[in-house]
Amino acid sequence: MKKNWKYNLCWLILMVAGFYLINTLMLAGVINTFIENMLVTIGINIILAVGLNLVIGFSGQFSLGHAGFMALGAYATGIMTQTMNTAGGFYLSILVGVVISIVVALLVGIPTLRLHGDYFAIATMGAAEIIRIVINNMKITNGAAGLFNIPQFATWDVVYIFVCLTTIVTVNFIHSRDGRAVISIRENEIAAEAMGVNTTKWKLSAFVLGAATAAIAGSLYASYLQTIVPSTFGIMESINILIFVVLGGLGSITGTFVATTLLGVLDAALQSLGVLRMVFYAVALIIIMIFKPGGLFGKWEFSFKRLLTKKQDGDMKEAGKESK
Amino acid sequence: MTDALNADHITKVFGGLTAVDDVSLHVGEKELVALIGPNGAGKTTFFNCLTGVGPATTGTVKIGGQEVKKNTKAYKVAQMGISRTFQNIRLFSKLSVLENVLIALTNHYKENFLTAVLRLPAYYKTEEAMEERAKELLKDFDLEDVMYFPAGSLPYGTQRRVEIVRALATEPKIICLDEPAAGMNPEETADLTRLIKRLQTEYGIAVLLIEHDMSLVMNLAERIYVLAEGKLLAKGTPSEIQNDEAVINAYLGGGADV
Repeated sequence: MKKNWKYNLCWLILMVAGFYLINTLMLAGVINTFIENMLVTIGINIILAVGLNLVIGFSGQFSLGHAGFMALGAYATGIMTQTMNTAGGFYLSILVGVVISIVVALLVGIPTLRLHGDYFAIATMGAAEIIRIVINNMKITNGAAGLFNIPQFATWDVVYIFVCLTTIVTVNFIHSRDGRAVISIRENEIAAEAMGVNTTKWKLSAFVLGAATAAIAGSLYASYLQTIVPSTFGIMESINILIFVVLGGLGSITGTFVATTLLGVLDAALQSLGVLRMVFYAVALIIIMIFKPGGLFGKWEFSFKRLLTKKQDGDMKEAGKESK
Repeated sequence: MTDALNADHITKVFGGLTAVDDVSLHVGEKELVALIGPNGAGKTTFFNCLTGVGPATTGTVKIGGQEVKKNTKAYKVAQMGISRTFQNIRLFSKLSVLENVLIALTNHYKENFLTAVLRLPAYYKTEEAMEERAKELLKDFDLEDVMYFPAGSLPYGTQRRVEIVRALATEPKIICLDEPAAGMNPEETADLTRLIKRLQTEYGIAVLLIEHDMSLVMNLAERIYVLAEGKLLAKGTPSEIQNDEAVINAYLGGGADV
């Protein structure tokens, strides 16, 4: 325990430094509204992608319904902050969004997690569509027209803090007894069961945790953009998040961070090209997938521990151990 | 003294095919029992009945005197004290050897979500205890040099050893080994023989062994069950089996030198 505080401190310093860097650049006027917008989008996408990576990359369950859980969070915040127009109301709405998405994730997960591979993907895709269509047809959500004038509580700093929090929770979960059980299911489900690992339970916990973080991202999204419509949370959004995860590497949180940031910057940089932007974006994706089929980072994880212990055991693989 | 394993009148039917037909078998405490039989005799199917992977159509299984109820999931059966290795090695091949063993320890250490996520002292304590236990086991079986290597990158014989250690880490009452010597050279087989013997003598665990390698079986087993076409053909001590007329005809092929 005592030897670990050093690495934890490194991460803390990194997080605080990042915060101050952005803050200073913001005050100095280097970061304008356009760049701020880009940063917040990247932040929200990181939360979504890290959560999805937990489900797909670590527990090995191919979910295509992530946007559905995002919608639950977004609408919880959108609806609640209109009557409770305070910061307290905003945080309460995040909590409500998380609780709702946990309940829905359980309802969806318990029957569908028996399915494997493609079947599970289709089932979750269907579940997300159901969520979207229900929202599309309810009065309280204002149907297809969506919600406007949602008060803005999610500024860049709130998003930054939530990126840190959700990542810490996810990464710490992965590097625990429970996380190992989750990973063992991805590696070999039959062997995991033979070791007494309750596969259904752990698959479900990863799925639920992923859904909860997606709801947080949805809340931030609604509050930052101040406008939400149901069509945002369709299958294309789920696929977008999937792209970040696959590109970064299934099973690498570091990869998810890098890929999401890279694509976020690329997307903003190509903004001036109009429709052509999507062509360049797609070409970039194809190139990366050809040369790095396992994603940019594969399963590699950045770790202060490895950096600081200076490889005393030759070429031993500490493979992503204790990266936080 | 309760038996480690009691299987009574196990029958397994696949559609119209009776793969295992009314087989009874028991393994006493700390006993080393082998199950042999020609290919397709139903040995692995029988194993799957015991471990809950493919539950028996009829018949009862007791582990350490405790009856396995109908429709118990495989992981629950494993938690009752039966552990196994697989005919075609099933390690978590991309994870390190250490992680493989740590996963097997999952149910023996309590860790809750909050302490893990918040990295409370309790988390580090359990993690350290788990790691210590895992390393102790690995050291005991000369695997400490490879403990950080991905399990799938190791030589075949070593992978077998890791799989047995992983099974041992679940602290079972009985370990079922499905053809552990398959594909091994004589030297590796000799090592394996010593290893299996140690499970019994040092760890006090009963072993049920499926094996084709007759030298291994005859060296190790205290009792042997012979399965042919899903039926129990014979049972007895190695010398009894070697002289059993029916077994020689069905399996050893008349006058085989074992």
